[in-house]
Amino acid sequence: MTRLACFYVPMFSLAARLRSEPSLREEAVAVVEGNGGAARVVAATRRARKKGIAAGMTLAQARSIMPKLIARSRDAECERTAQEALIEVAETFSPRIEDAGSGMVFIDIDGLERHYQSEEELAKAAIHASDSMGLPARVGIAASKLAARVAAELPKSPVVVPPGDEATFLAPLPLARLSPEIGAATMLHRFGLASIGDLARLPESDIASRLGEIGRELHWAARGIDPSPLTPRALPPEFREGMEVEWPLVALEPFLFIASAALDRLMKRMEIQGFACKRIEMTLTLEPDGFDARGIDLPAPTRDVKTILTLLRLDLENKAPGAPVAGFTFTAHPDRPRRAQLSLFGPAAISPEKLATTIARLISILGDGRVGMPVTVDGHLPERFGVADYAPPPPPDLRPTPARGRGLLAARIFRPPIPVEVKTRDAKISSLHGEEVEGDVKVCSGPWKIEEGWWRGDPAAREYWDVETTGGRIYRVYQNPVAESWYLDARFAW
Amino acid sequence: MAAPAPRLYPIQVPLLRPEAPLKPTLVPPPPPVEPGQRDEVRALRAALDPAVAAKVTNGAELVRAIARRRREATLSTGVEALDALLGGGLARGKMTELAGRGERYSFVVSALASATSLGEAAALIDLGDAFDPQLGDAAGIDLRRMLWVRPQTMKQAVMAAEMIGATGIQFIAVDAGLPPLRGKRVGDASWVRLARTAESHGCTILVSAPYPVTGTTSEAMVQTFAARAKWLGAPRAPKVLAGVEARLRLEKHRHKKTGETAAVFFSSLITHDSSLIPHHS
Repeated sequence: MTRLACFYVPMFSLAARLRSEPSLREEAVAVVEGNGGAARVVAATRRARKKGIAAGMTLAQARSIMPKLIARSRDAECERTAQEALIEVAETFSPRIEDAGSGMVFIDIDGLERHYQSEEELAKAAIHASDSMGLPARVGIAASKLAARVAAELPKSPVVVPPGDEATFLAPLPLARLSPEIGAATMLHRFGLASIGDLARLPESDIASRLGEIGRELHWAARGIDPSPLTPRALPPEFREGMEVEWPLVALEPFLFIASAALDRLMKRMEIQGFACKRIEMTLTLEPDGFDARGIDLPAPTRDVKTILTLLRLDLENKAPGAPVAGFTFTAHPDRPRRAQLSLFGPAAISPEKLATTIARLISILGDGRVGMPVTVDGHLPERFGVADYAPPPPPDLRPTPARGRGLLAARIFRPPIPVEVKTRDAKISSLHGEEVEGDVKVCSGPWKIEEGWWRGDPAAREYWDVETTGGRIYRVYQNPVAESWYLDARFAW
Repeated sequence: MAAPAPRLYPIQVPLLRPEAPLKPTLVPPPPPVEPGQRDEVRALRAALDPAVAAKVTNGAELVRAIARRRREATLSTGVEALDALLGGGLARGKMTELAGRGERYSFVVSALASATSLGEAAALIDLGDAFDPQLGDAAGIDLRRMLWVRPQTMKQAVMAAEMIGATGIQFIAVDAGLPPLRGKRVGDASWVRLARTAESHGCTILVSAPYPVTGTTSEAMVQTFAARAKWLGAPRAPKVLAGVEARLRLEKHRHKKTGETAAVFFSSLITHDSSLIPHHS
């Protein structure tokens, strides 16, 4: 027999809001829907409920009871991300889950009996996992979705309905637990039926003849029969987290403070799924209207919040959104984190995540293009170079013998080349005068002609010389024959 | 002269008991530091077959052997003369400095080639932004294993080296470029921290600067002197730069006598024909 667990977060809109603003947990808070005088309380914290605040009140009524009541409007973004977080908690228990929306998730727990001593232990673990994500969930376990849902909705949690006892479990509960339509509920009330058991005891055909198809379905539900199967959910291609802020933010620091908490939640969710972030996208909702969207590619998948936050800070500092920020959404593109394979005999491999984090931080400090793997570039100009993402290949299994040095003289390239004044005598360089060099030339050799790109719009034609000054300094200089200008290109022996 | 204290009347009871004189005691002999010297271990080894006994070790011996191996582990710079000067190469987990107004960059490139040829990851902190990937490739550097960082100040360079050292990259070369140093000189505390990073992560660091900067934190310091250029060709004929002769002197080493000198020739010709090179030391 199939066994299903239902995760249910009561007062979901409030729970989602408190997940985003944990500092409000102990306060008297009400979540309201609507604007101005039409704003009505949807849910309130225990502290507010004790003072008499109840769902359905207008905000003005609630404030008349409790002037210091903190009101927060319903945040669709918060609720969506909270729902995703709840789903991800459920996915840590079973890959087969169904998203029932608004703080409710069903999971198939078949086969989990080998991991937990009992279903009660499993339910307690689920409650604990959900709590750790900031969502106080209730859990019900039964053979059908209906019974599991009703079990999860009961105030005492967890509730485990033994297999085959669904009808017995439901019988004493009030009919409202089946959530009948208003018309059907009124009719059943007129019949004098109060509990689910009262309905289950009546003949199915009599109920169906009076209430139609709805009546038949209710009768099945009352007997614990729920033919609807679990509809598994596909894995999301990306993870999102965000919220709308109470007051539009005009400074970077408060924004980063809130963003840090959101990123922390996002990375925790990715960690649960065994993913790391390869690309982070940020969409800012601006006041009074408009959006600012930007994306940052990370050198390697990482879950380090500090690094991502530093990158976001630098990106925002370089290019400010230009308007107050009223909300934000982070979208993380997942990728599998790279794992280092350790070797017993060869050089140790580097942790790819640690390396990626360090490179990302270095890039954020030094600038783009200043950190990476050097790449050779086709051509003839000595100053040419390329930089690519650094992803070293795995080290060899066995430590090889070190190669003998080639004894090659290395030149220090000047980027860009330094303009220099050159005097020549008998078609040879006799002296150099410039920013880096001043003096007569003792020995020179050249010219070596280089020409490339004549087929492009920016051709390069140069004549290179190696020179040694009387002071013993050795340079490589070149002349642009067209402009007749000279440049210091490199320095040897330094 | 003070009068002697009168004896107490026999019925009087002294309040304080006279203290018994302390007997001098010797500190008990410490247990043998070398567990191998203990009789039980010696007896056990004597009872074993000599071939087997030679392979038996204990924890203390193992720890000492690992420490000794770590101390003696070196990374070749790819230049025999410099390796000999440093007692085998760059000390692993330590910082070595190459300072002076002579040839330094060729040693840095050669050390990078040597490290990457072992399959190790290496990083070049290139403060002067002077590295030529084409030349590095020709010098034998496996560019895929090399991280190239181009900071703009000395402070950034040291910070980058410290961050990279913590990732587990085995060799880091910090080249300070041509004088004057870009940005302000960094404080001694930064070099101490970098040396500690090298030690704690087993990273080998080579610092190349136009004048000594690491102070007492480096394991060894080699001074380079002005290099001499070697030209090919007759006096009045067109010439070709064959290479330069670099001169070195060991100025400081924690485990070696200083003052040794060496000369190394670096060829500017990408060739294996040594007959073209006029002098090779």
